[in-house]
Amino acid sequence: MNEVSRNPRRALSRALSRIANADVSETLAQQNASTPATLSRIGITGAPGAGKSTLIARLAHLRKGVDRKIAVLAIDPTSPVSQGSILGDRIRMDSIADDPDIFIRSIPSRRAHDGLTDNTADLLNAMEGHGFDEVILESVGVGQAEYTIRTLVDTVVLVLLPESGDAIQAMKAGILEMADIYVVNKADLPGAELLESHIQQVAERQSRNGWTPPVICTTRSDPAGFALLDKAIRDHAHWRATHTDETAVRRARARYQAHGLIARRIDEILEDDDGGLLDLDPRGLFDALHAKLKPDMED
Amino acid sequence: MSLNGKRILIAKPGLDGHDVGAKIIALALRDAGADVIYTGLRRSPDYIARVAVDEDVDAVGLSILSGSHKELVAETVRCLEELDASDIHLFVGGTIPREDQDELREAGARAIFTAEMPLDDVVAAIDADLAS
Ligand SMILES: Nc1nc2c(ncn2[C@@H]2O[C@H](COP(=O)(O)OP(=O)(O)OP(=O)(O)O)[C@@H](O)[C@H]2O)c(=O)[nH]1
Ligand SMILES: [Mg+2]
Repeated sequence: MNEVSRNPRRALSRALSRIANADVSETLAQQNASTPATLSRIGITGAPGAGKSTLIARLAHLRKGVDRKIAVLAIDPTSPVSQGSILGDRIRMDSIADDPDIFIRSIPSRRAHDGLTDNTADLLNAMEGHGFDEVILESVGVGQAEYTIRTLVDTVVLVLLPESGDAIQAMKAGILEMADIYVVNKADLPGAELLESHIQQVAERQSRNGWTPPVICTTRSDPAGFALLDKAIRDHAHWRATHTDETAVRRARARYQAHGLIARRIDEILEDDDGGLLDLDPRGLFDALHAKLKPDMED
Repeated sequence: MSLNGKRILIAKPGLDGHDVGAKIIALALRDAGADVIYTGLRRSPDYIARVAVDEDVDAVGLSILSGSHKELVAETVRCLEELDASDIHLFVGGTIPREDQDELREAGARAIFTAEMPLDDVVAAIDADLAS
């Protein structure tokens, strides 16, 4: 079935599959005169099990409105063994699953190792023009995910867990310093206050251009924390409107996309090869890859 | 055999509260390479069809132990049709008496799996059906 469905929701949903499944040559062929990015993009990242999906459900419910429709793209890890996945984010978003104003799409991470998925940039672009006002992206919580999601979204929310001494380790490594908003989630668990005060210090050091990342405590059962988070996101959007260099943002996104396409193209070449390429010395390998880099375009 | 790139929704319509079987199938399909989404318990056919559309799945597997399989299958088929999604393959698993199976097939189920069937056979049948 390739014709466009009479059901607009199905048409969108199929378009997303086409983009998600496209190889490099198809991805290049599908690039159309770039649609301007009008949706606001919120990225939610944090360690596995931090409560990202549960939090997104609360947030999406608060942020939708009479004329505001929300899309959620939720990425879960692909098993490196079977290449299959259990896409479990949706089930944690149960409370909004029946809401016609909220669209949820579960996405496997596939080959991507940065907490996102192949073609994330194109998937985000594809959400433009379907009546949504905002897209919330849930990344897989891996070490460096904060950096990559940073380039693709307007506001990065980092979700942290009280019980982890990890947070302190991460702070030393500087991983924490990419977020616009910090959430100490599961604040019902012991250690929340301690973590909050640690993160507060990080956030203050990060203060620049009039934005100091707020630190917000949330608990599944308490709406007040999510209301504060909702407000913090609005404040950040407001700040961003006058403090963002749009050209720099656009260029950073272009750079990320180019990196991704070339890395995947290299994987495609190596998967098609019998292994001989990898026996070359680094320089020979580089030259061979370079020669094959441009895929055969269909049209 | 590989279900790589196939998206499958495992759904529990109706009132029974047991999803061990559904979860076992979900894991087996994942291990065979599929991307699997599970709805959770006690979902309406209308809800299941809408999730199937939003998630653009290739197949929906209904796990039904309650005995209301005839109504639930017919209703799911109707809801999928309404959403212009009749091309999504429908499988049924659970406690389905032999004498009801033909009727479910006529209603639109591509295959029916009962608890006695070895897991590998179930996965292989789904794989073959989706490859065709
Ligand atoms: N105590 C407590 N548990 C919570 C809270 N929010 C979520 N959880 C639980 O934390 C677990 C993980 O929640 P998810 O929302 O799936 O977390 P996630 O970060 O999306 O997980 P992944 O997508 O697997 O990385 C679940 O068992 C939730 O029930 C909370 O506020 N307090
Ligand atoms: Mg999640």
